[in-house]
Amino acid sequence: MGNLSGNAYALTVLSPIKPGIIADEQIAYADKVRSILQGWNGLPNSPMTAVPQTYLCRYFVLDNVYTESQPGGSAPDTLNDWLPVVPDWLRRAAMPAHDQLKSRYLVFSANVYVGPSGDIAPYLRGMWQAIRKEVESIWQYCYGFDEVKDADGFAAYIQRCALPASLFFVGSNDEPLPEQLKALYIKQQFARFAVDNQGLPTATLRQNFQAFMKQIAPHELATPTWEPGKYRLP
Amino acid sequence: MSNIAGKAYAMNVITPIRWYTAWLNKLIFWVALQRPATLKGLITLSLIHYARWVIIGRDQFPHVHPSQPRETLKYSYMLFFSNFNGSWDQYVDSFTFAIPSGLDMFWKWNVRYSKSVSLTPFHKYIRYNQLDTLHYYNAYPLATSNDVKSARIVKAKLLDFDSATRDASDDDFAKQYRTLLRDLQHDLGDMYPTPIVSMSAYQVERRQRWHEGQLDGSKH
Amino acid sequence: MTYQLDLLDIQGNVLRAYGRFRYPAARYVFFNIRDGAKGRAFVAALTRRVTTAVQWGEGPDKLPPPEWTLNVAFNYQGLKELDLPRESLIGFSPEFVAGMKDRKDILGDDGPSAPEHWDPIWQHNRETREHDVHIFVSINGLMPLPKDAKPAAVQAAVNDAKARVEAGYRWLLEQVAAQQGGVALLGGHRGDNGELLDYQDVQAVLENGVPTSKEHFGYTDGIGDPVFEGVPYDAERINGRGKQLANGQWAPLAAGEFLLGHTDEALEYPPAPSPLLLARNGTYMIYRKLHENVGTFERYLDEHGQRYPGGKELLAAKFVGRWRDNGAPIVKAWDDASKARFDADYKAADGHGKDQLLSNFTYDEDMSGGRCPFSAHIRRINPRASLEFTRDEQDPAKVCGAFSVSEGAFDTPGALANRRRVLRRGLPYGTVKDRSRDDGNHGIIIMMLNADINRQFEFVQQQWINYGNDFKAGNDKEILLGNHSQSEHFPSKAVLQVDPASDDAPYILPRLPRFVETRGGEYFFVPSLTALRMIAAGTVDPT
Ligand code: HEM
Repeated sequence: MGNLSGNAYALTVLSPIKPGIIADEQIAYADKVRSILQGWNGLPNSPMTAVPQTYLCRYFVLDNVYTESQPGGSAPDTLNDWLPVVPDWLRRAAMPAHDQLKSRYLVFSANVYVGPSGDIAPYLRGMWQAIRKEVESIWQYCYGFDEVKDADGFAAYIQRCALPASLFFVGSNDEPLPEQLKALYIKQQFARFAVDNQGLPTATLRQNFQAFMKQIAPHELATPTWEPGKYRLP
Repeated sequence: MSNIAGKAYAMNVITPIRWYTAWLNKLIFWVALQRPATLKGLITLSLIHYARWVIIGRDQFPHVHPSQPRETLKYSYMLFFSNFNGSWDQYVDSFTFAIPSGLDMFWKWNVRYSKSVSLTPFHKYIRYNQLDTLHYYNAYPLATSNDVKSARIVKAKLLDFDSATRDASDDDFAKQYRTLLRDLQHDLGDMYPTPIVSMSAYQVERRQRWHEGQLDGSKH
Repeated sequence: MTYQLDLLDIQGNVLRAYGRFRYPAARYVFFNIRDGAKGRAFVAALTRRVTTAVQWGEGPDKLPPPEWTLNVAFNYQGLKELDLPRESLIGFSPEFVAGMKDRKDILGDDGPSAPEHWDPIWQHNRETREHDVHIFVSINGLMPLPKDAKPAAVQAAVNDAKARVEAGYRWLLEQVAAQQGGVALLGGHRGDNGELLDYQDVQAVLENGVPTSKEHFGYTDGIGDPVFEGVPYDAERINGRGKQLANGQWAPLAAGEFLLGHTDEALEYPPAPSPLLLARNGTYMIYRKLHENVGTFERYLDEHGQRYPGGKELLAAKFVGRWRDNGAPIVKAWDDASKARFDADYKAADGHGKDQLLSNFTYDEDMSGGRCPFSAHIRRINPRASLEFTRDEQDPAKVCGAFSVSEGAFDTPGALANRRRVLRRGLPYGTVKDRSRDDGNHGIIIMMLNADINRQFEFVQQQWINYGNDFKAGNDKEILLGNHSQSEHFPSKAVLQVDPASDDAPYILPRLPRFVETRGGEYFFVPSLTALRMIAAGTVDPT
């Protein structure tokens, strides 16, 4: 399946937003969703830091589909250049037409670690458990979400809104997020170690190295490590 | 909006495909999956954490409730989502400079796609079909895809070195330590904040908060 | 058909680095326009004397080289004060409109490089109407052929060149006076003793009175410079300076990378203002005054030269990618033996042979950086085809610090470098009186020309000098120019890679200080002769 590459999963969710209006705020549901999501940017960090195994994810609102394109030069166009008999209406018929969506969609796209099972449901249940309040605050405006009552319901609902990927390209790797973060921590620490210990006598280097390994505790994933979403190093 | 989270940029592009040629795109992606050599350019560029292509048939927009109207569209659509390192210009330009034919292969069947060379029409094509992200989360804002890949290597090498040198003589330890550093000579780049690519008021303010140690509350 | 440029329509400084044509001294002067009509009259007077790119010599299409050259450029404010129509003005690129000071965050001009430390003329630029820089004028003086090779004769010739610069400057002041206050000269360039001067003087660094191609850190400079289509006097210089092709050959770059109104490497005209006659054969120029911290450089080099296994001079070469003495590229001369071979070949070669030894090289044999480190000045600024590289192994057990060419991955091996090239002009300024000190007034006035400031100069400055991800170096910066961190907590470093097959460890340059600091600058537009005449006549008309 296109959603999976090794242990990494490409989740693509389009949840249709209902056409309602919040009267006292003079705001459409879709714009309300948009403004709540924008509000997350002002928090010290994203609510998604709390959702286990999220490498990267994004939210936006799809208002409509778009069809910007080349101004001219399609096949009838070229024919028209060669054969003046090709009528102009035929040439123009090849220009893109306007398409109109009937609903606006909340788009949630995430790159996550799911492990060998390849099942996205445990991730979604984890999301519900970690940030149920935030999830409800945005999805409440979507069709069919009123029926979601628990983690299983959420996982099932999101999967109904999900679309399969045709191609998922993993340019980094598909290790569990805590492994990735620990490795990044170790990389940064070791770069420092290499600088600080350059040119020392071997005995000292050796001693320092032992202390270093103890300090970084390479097998302890929990700590010391980088916290998810961290913008600033300790 | 916020298309940027640390060193990653979130790009979303939606482009129309004629419903009766959508299968061709799927076929091309299927071939790409079977033959990793087609992705060699992408791998060499090494600018992407994760990327995906999703094809939505014109009658495949999710329909989750009887009260939701069904979509009636003329076209099917291709969605492209990428998480890349660097600025918009750097990314788009690197792709058109380095792998124009690869891009054209993936987008060729999109209605009136402008081709990746010349650059300006391609820039416009992407710009106008790009959907801005409202909230973007990155678990490692300070790391690039190169860093994530390097980190895995550093960790593994370090553990190997540690176990191989426990009982080594001092001389042997020194020799193996040199080897360790040499093996990792391309993996020790620092991970500090990214150079500034955005001058939006929000990003400027965010940098200010970073300098003041307010992000994550980790002052020092 | 070979590509043809209208040499008489292109300003001479665009196609020629005058220093290479026996002009060892120059003066840069800046003006504020007080009155649009008089400003245009001033431009008209200058235009009649502007040096073009015409071939020098005898013959039907040639002219003799002038005793002093004159070239003119404008920044955005200047074009506005000359009353260019708004519709033309909005066609210039956003970064040109904004100016260099406004782009400081993009360029990494922070800490000691921040605008508050710039020379007063640059500090005051774009703050108040009266102090805005509008016009740039450069005058280079021709050095007559010395009577003989003795230092006294050469010195006399250098003095003649300087006298010619003075003559040009006097002429320039007469043109200013003729406009009766319509144009004001802007002073405020810091001089050697902290005084403020009316102009920026530059000249080749002298050794015993004889001009050299050295800059103040002691490096041989002025070798690498892009070669593009249609420049007649660069026909012999394509190898190593053009673009590297898949078959190992070199070809000139597309003219549109450096001149507006010509097709570029993407087979299109670079974005430019209208009308076409305003843009065509013109280009953008980046002017930067860069101070060199000679004391810091000497101390750092001494300290690490003692520890670095290859010794001090090899270490100095690693910073730049070239040896200080004769400019030998370290990819060709990476240790004592290969350097001795290079030196012998160099001695034996004729002029063209010498030039090819210095410039005609690639990084193909050095994909891992064991010879020229990834953070060296010239590898960062012009990586040639070396960015088409990869680590063949992702399996940690097999990783060994080596990279190799990722053959066929890109459309053309230089894909990531060919659209990031900049023409390089300018000369050193000031004299170093005490090599143990940073203060004083010594550095380089560098002028870079390109068709797209953002895609070419700013990209290189931001992504390759002040950041290292394209070189798999994370935030590690270019050694010589990087705006190295001032913070204890986030010190800057650089890794000097070694041959992966050796038994050596890479040397890490720790806590890199800032060797170079920005002291000012601005973005200018260098119009063609046709455009100058139209600007002067007020006939630029995009309708
Ligand atoms: C004080 C500051 C600088 C010093 C001391 C310096 C010194 C040097 C030296 C010694 C070389 C090698 C000789 C040669 O290839 O010509 C060189 C090359 C070069 N420099 Fe600089 N430079 C400085 C600033 C800059 C800046 C700011 C840029 C542009 C962003 C730049 C662009 C170049 C280019 C394009 C080359 C030729 C590279 C090649 O084609 O291989 N330099 N510089």
